[in-house]
Amino acid sequence: MSKVTLTIDGIQIEAQKGEKVLWAALEGGIYIPSLCAVRGLEPPFAACRLCFVEIEGRGIVTSCTETVADGMVVYTNTPRVKRLRRTAFELLLSHHDTDCSSCPGHGNCELQRIASRLGLKLRQNRFRPVPISYPIDSSHPLITYDPNRCILCGKCVWVCNERGSGVLNFAFRGIDTVVTTFFGLPLADSGCNSCLECAAVCPVGAIALKRDVRPPRS
Amino acid sequence: MGQIMDEVIEDETAFVLRLYSGERKNLVPILQDVCDRLGYLPRAAMERIAEHLAINRGEVYSAATFYNQFRLSPPGRHTVKVCMGTACHIKGGQLILEAWERELDVDVGGVTRDGQFGLERVACVGCCAMAPIVVCDDVVHGRTRPTTVKGIITNLNEREHDIRGDSGQGD
Amino acid sequence: MIFEEIRDRAIREWEGLRNSGRPLILIGTATCGRAAGAMEVLERIERELGERGIDADVVQVGCMGHCYAEPLIAIAKPGYPPILYGYVTQGTASQLIENFILGDDPCLEFALGALEENELIPTIFDMPRFRYERRILLERCGFIDPQNIDHYIANGGYSALVKALEMTSDEVIEGVRRSGLRGRGGAGFPTGEKFGICREAEGEPKYLICNGDEGDPGAFMDRAILESDPQSVIEGMTIAAYAVGALHGYIYVRAEYPLAVERVRFALRQAEGLGLLGQDILGSGFSFGIELVRGSGAFVCGEETALIASIEGGRGVPHPRPPFPATSGLWGKPTLINNVKTLSIIPHIISKGADWYSSIGTEKSKGTAVFALAGKVINTGLAEVPMGTTLRDIIYGVGGGIPGGKRFKAVQIGGPSGGFLPESMPDIPVDFDSLTEAGVMMGSGGMVILDEDNCMVEAARYLLDFTQRESCGKCTMCRLGTKQMLNILEDITNGEGRLEDLGLLMELAQDVRDGSLCGLGRTAPNPVLTSLSYFRDEYEAHIIEKRCPALVCEKLISYYILPERCERSCDACVGSCSVEAIYAGKGGVKVIDQEKCVKCGICLDSCPPQYSAIVKLSPLSLVPPEEKKPEKSEEGDG
Ligand SMILES: Cc1cc2nc3c(=O)[nH]c(=O)nc-3n(C[C@H](O)[C@H](O)[C@H](O)COP(=O)(O)O)c2cc1C
Ligand code: FES
Repeated sequence: MSKVTLTIDGIQIEAQKGEKVLWAALEGGIYIPSLCAVRGLEPPFAACRLCFVEIEGRGIVTSCTETVADGMVVYTNTPRVKRLRRTAFELLLSHHDTDCSSCPGHGNCELQRIASRLGLKLRQNRFRPVPISYPIDSSHPLITYDPNRCILCGKCVWVCNERGSGVLNFAFRGIDTVVTTFFGLPLADSGCNSCLECAAVCPVGAIALKRDVRPPRS
Repeated sequence: MGQIMDEVIEDETAFVLRLYSGERKNLVPILQDVCDRLGYLPRAAMERIAEHLAINRGEVYSAATFYNQFRLSPPGRHTVKVCMGTACHIKGGQLILEAWERELDVDVGGVTRDGQFGLERVACVGCCAMAPIVVCDDVVHGRTRPTTVKGIITNLNEREHDIRGDSGQGD
Repeated sequence: MIFEEIRDRAIREWEGLRNSGRPLILIGTATCGRAAGAMEVLERIERELGERGIDADVVQVGCMGHCYAEPLIAIAKPGYPPILYGYVTQGTASQLIENFILGDDPCLEFALGALEENELIPTIFDMPRFRYERRILLERCGFIDPQNIDHYIANGGYSALVKALEMTSDEVIEGVRRSGLRGRGGAGFPTGEKFGICREAEGEPKYLICNGDEGDPGAFMDRAILESDPQSVIEGMTIAAYAVGALHGYIYVRAEYPLAVERVRFALRQAEGLGLLGQDILGSGFSFGIELVRGSGAFVCGEETALIASIEGGRGVPHPRPPFPATSGLWGKPTLINNVKTLSIIPHIISKGADWYSSIGTEKSKGTAVFALAGKVINTGLAEVPMGTTLRDIIYGVGGGIPGGKRFKAVQIGGPSGGFLPESMPDIPVDFDSLTEAGVMMGSGGMVILDEDNCMVEAARYLLDFTQRESCGKCTMCRLGTKQMLNILEDITNGEGRLEDLGLLMELAQDVRDGSLCGLGRTAPNPVLTSLSYFRDEYEAHIIEKRCPALVCEKLISYYILPERCERSCDACVGSCSVEAIYAGKGGVKVIDQEKCVKCGICLDSCPPQYSAIVKLSPLSLVPPEEKKPEKSEEGDG
């Protein structure tokens, strides 16, 4: 496959033709936050709205959906980019259980990582918290699922249908959208084959291995 | 309508499934037909549909919960839909809805305790010129007022009486 | 059968109906007519004709657009011009049969006008509104039986298809391109260009989708066309399919339109029956089939990628564009997707030519625009005007102005993705670009008119509530951004807003607009942005004075009985109150117990107009302190 050269934040970067700007940047050592992107997945999910960049001649776009082109000039830190991703980030936190100390993902959470890399606060007060109080599912012997920590990135749904037993899906819609099983059955009764891929891809602490469970070899 | 017996669910679902091949694109039309016949989408029906289309039952649930038209619990014997479209809203649709809630003593989205009435909101039935609109069992009532609620209920009961009278024994 | 035979037979049938020597009664039984009682009127007419043994033809037709006057019937009796009657009740229907059909009194007191030039009475086309209107898409609506394909054919239908099939597909596309037609689904994308892209796109088979989702509350143009002239949509689809090389089409009609679904289904069968649809259409070698798909109640499914996901069999969730459907749509194949009105104008363009079409409208917006007028306007219903007609001409010229002598305040245009145009802009030409410049969108053509009794903040809250409910939930900006905007608007209408909220609301609106995945989120902030820029004073009144200037926001108003106007011995309000909040105070003057009052407004309706003693007050502090309810004595009485 042929290569193209683009400029991201003043740095020349070579990328495979057809690659998305997000992956080209990350490969070139330039950080762009993202929660929902899965490399190679077409069409990209493009739901988290954190990966904004500004491209000369194109304006603001999500880098996970934008294909690289020769001579493309990309900025990852313009005021507009910063403002949009801060808003998206804070919106996510407004509908999220932010009691980090009790979270199994504490210390290994993409939200925490993004906050520290971009200097954003995990405790925001621009937006009022939107109440969220689903029961936690700990029926499964190996994993727990806490929907109150889920940011709906869709990775578990994708991996469960791609490689697992396909028990996880989105249900309902809008603000009530939730990742769940058939009629919300406990995971233990859902037909889950315990491949544990969902826990591996969850960027936060929503689906997590129970203590003492060793991660699967992949 | 209330809870439906298992055999009925089984028969009606099987009836619908005979009309459709196992292609994925038939999922939504099948859900529509089953929901039309049973009034809602019981769990057993969704499981049968998943088998028929050879997809995960979770995907059926996923689609069924996405659309406004699909119910997951039995509807009332009569369904009252109050239009909440823009035109109805600015002509007082909210007051109409509240009047129904008070009259039926049920919150929108619910079914009265005796199972007679289900109250729903609907986003525009395209009769904006006649706003505010209430649809009762598919009969569209235009230019309603909070004060016409009682009349519509009486009308529904009478029609039901007629239908029963016609068929002799009723149901 | 060759087309000439089909057409000749259709014309014979049509002429036979018109010149049968028997009276002909047309009755509008589209959904709007039914809501006004057309089916009961129809039943009465048929019963009386039967009982009296009168030999007359009764034909059900669609919607003429004069929805304000429904139910409508037209009577053509030999020796008289065809006359249109409005506001027909079962009683008037009987009278018309008695006096006009049997007698010779055309009951002109019920007439809206004649449908043809004559000596006797003015035609409806002499109404002032027709100085502004130009009916092309709506021309046949309400005049033909939508369930009878012969009526369509006898009135010029399907001759455009015959003509198109004799042209090359490139010639068809070129004609559409030259006509300047832009999509009527909202964004106004040049239709000829879209045809071209789809034609050139690689991938087989190609698909065509007619978008009849019409999810915008307050819009009903597409419903009216599907119910009144479904064959025009089918013919347009077939020509478009021929142009781009699609073999299979879908027509997606929203679930809330059961009658449209029924009529389209029937129309498809009739077209197939005559070989105008299906294999080897009219012997041309071109084959095209159409499948009807019912929506299931999701506004977002009007968005093209969500609509496609829904047809493919799942959640109607949008995905990022590009790729656009024209290159990769249904099952990844090139898919042409157009609005009902875009497709149904195609036969006219083919028949009468691109130059004819492009002579109508403005420089950049060609042709006519069909609007659904609703809300606080006298002539609610449909209107078709050349693009570029001013807002004033639409609302006052066609719509007849605001009822009850009230003041026009704003028009909500383009549905929840559109916005508000204020009263101060009456001369704005209504076309794609002028509207975009004003911060609103043409949308699919809904126009809801608001008067002084409507609260702009409440209206914005309502629309946000709608988009928030209808958000598919996939992307963060829309799912949560609309929720947070709604929270702020609810605070303001509840009297709990703070001035700094307006800044946050503005910021959020801009971010949701720029950062959402699909058009739903990208346009959802428009009502907020336009109301903030044109009606900021109303927001401030709610926040600073806790006052709703239009007296709408429940938490900020009270119902109050003016003691000096109360008639005392009249009990109308007491009886009407569903929560027993009204009692007789000193001297029989009625008093509203503010604690108990649920602000349903029924008492205001029930107070006889000669007293008009009940008023709404805002802010709440305007209500004088209440006298105590004389509980003791009442108990004693009972
Ligand atoms: C939220 C949303 C709702 C939409 N609803 C409709 C609709 O009801 N009808 C329609 O024709 N287009 C609708 N559209 C526009 C379609 O995505 C698409 O642009 C249109 O059908 C293309 O047809 P046209 O080129 O003829 O305008 C909607 C778009 C969005 C973002
Ligand atoms: S990574 Fe681009 S939107 Fe989530």
